[in-house]
Amino acid sequence: MAKPRPVKGIQPSRRLRPNARKILAVRIDEIYQYDGLVGDPRNITELHDMRIAFKRLRYLLEIFGEAFTHDLGPFLDEVKRLQDLLGDIHDCDVQVPMLVAHLAWLEAQESQSVTAMLLRRQRTSLSDDSDAALAEFTSRLNAARRADERPGIHTLIAQRRSARIALYEQFTAQWRRLKHERFRHRLETALGIAS
Amino acid sequence: MAQPWTVNGLTPDAVFRSAAGRIILTRWREMMSYQEGTLAGTDIEELHAMRVSSRRLRAAMDAFADAFPPREFRRYLRQVKRITDTLGDARDLDVTIAHLDALLVDLTSIDRPGVIGLISRYQAQREIETTHIASLFAQLENDGFSTQFEKWITQHTGIKIAKLRPAPPETP
Repeated sequence: MAKPRPVKGIQPSRRLRPNARKILAVRIDEIYQYDGLVGDPRNITELHDMRIAFKRLRYLLEIFGEAFTHDLGPFLDEVKRLQDLLGDIHDCDVQVPMLVAHLAWLEAQESQSVTAMLLRRQRTSLSDDSDAALAEFTSRLNAARRADERPGIHTLIAQRRSARIALYEQFTAQWRRLKHERFRHRLETALGIAS
Repeated sequence: MAQPWTVNGLTPDAVFRSAAGRIILTRWREMMSYQEGTLAGTDIEELHAMRVSSRRLRAAMDAFADAFPPREFRRYLRQVKRITDTLGDARDLDVTIAHLDALLVDLTSIDRPGVIGLISRYQAQREIETTHIASLFAQLENDGFSTQFEKWITQHTGIKIAKLRPAPPETP
């Protein structure tokens, strides 16, 4: 996770508003530093870092809102929308590897169960009738296997991957819209930090 | 989501340092108000509310870091971060389990066993998280963290909890 950039010139004995402006100016800038990087859906780290930057800005707008006369509510809604979308993308990015790891875990569990079953088999006798013995062995083997759990996990993986594609498209559309609507300029003007 | 508590006495012309005291102490008490419900574990929304409050607290501490001596600040922030992270691990599992539960209805009989198995695995992990939460709060209690933290905030901001009187918003 990218650390927040230090903010210079904070004077704790002065009023909240001028200090809040300095902090907010840096945090807004942090979001826009990812502008060129989030155009590629494979940039998982940058998308995650941008989400954190949005989250920081959202909380700061909530915390410092009292110090500004301008209604920051509509800006907060936009920031929250983008943060949520990036959060949902991040969830997919985290969940897919977790599900893949779960498949590997199922495989390991299955291997242990089958080994245990085979060891038990050496200690217990099967029927002398070869057909009956095969049927009994197959039945024990299937009970030890967890193959029936895999299709559901594959389905979840496919669902998450497809959701990720749709969410990323929504995010890029929203991000383009914000830039088109000069969100940064309007927010900085409302906060009194527009240059 | 639980509404944040109103910060008493916070005005547009507040001084940065005193605003820090008012906001951080309010968020601290807000977060701790959910401790009992979180430990009881009967309603997952209590843990969710506590986690949300802990994030608000952490964000406030980050915002007002310059009002405090850096070394001590980092120590206190580390503890708050521990609370947020511990609650977060449990909350993530609660959300995931609820999401998978909701999916079950629409799944085919071929897909269902896998998802049921996954839910069981996450439920077992969630049990472990419950013990982590309990031991974290027991440790904070033993260390007298709450009293120390509030005293430290007062010392550096001049805001006293007795005068601030943080309280939940009145329900209509």
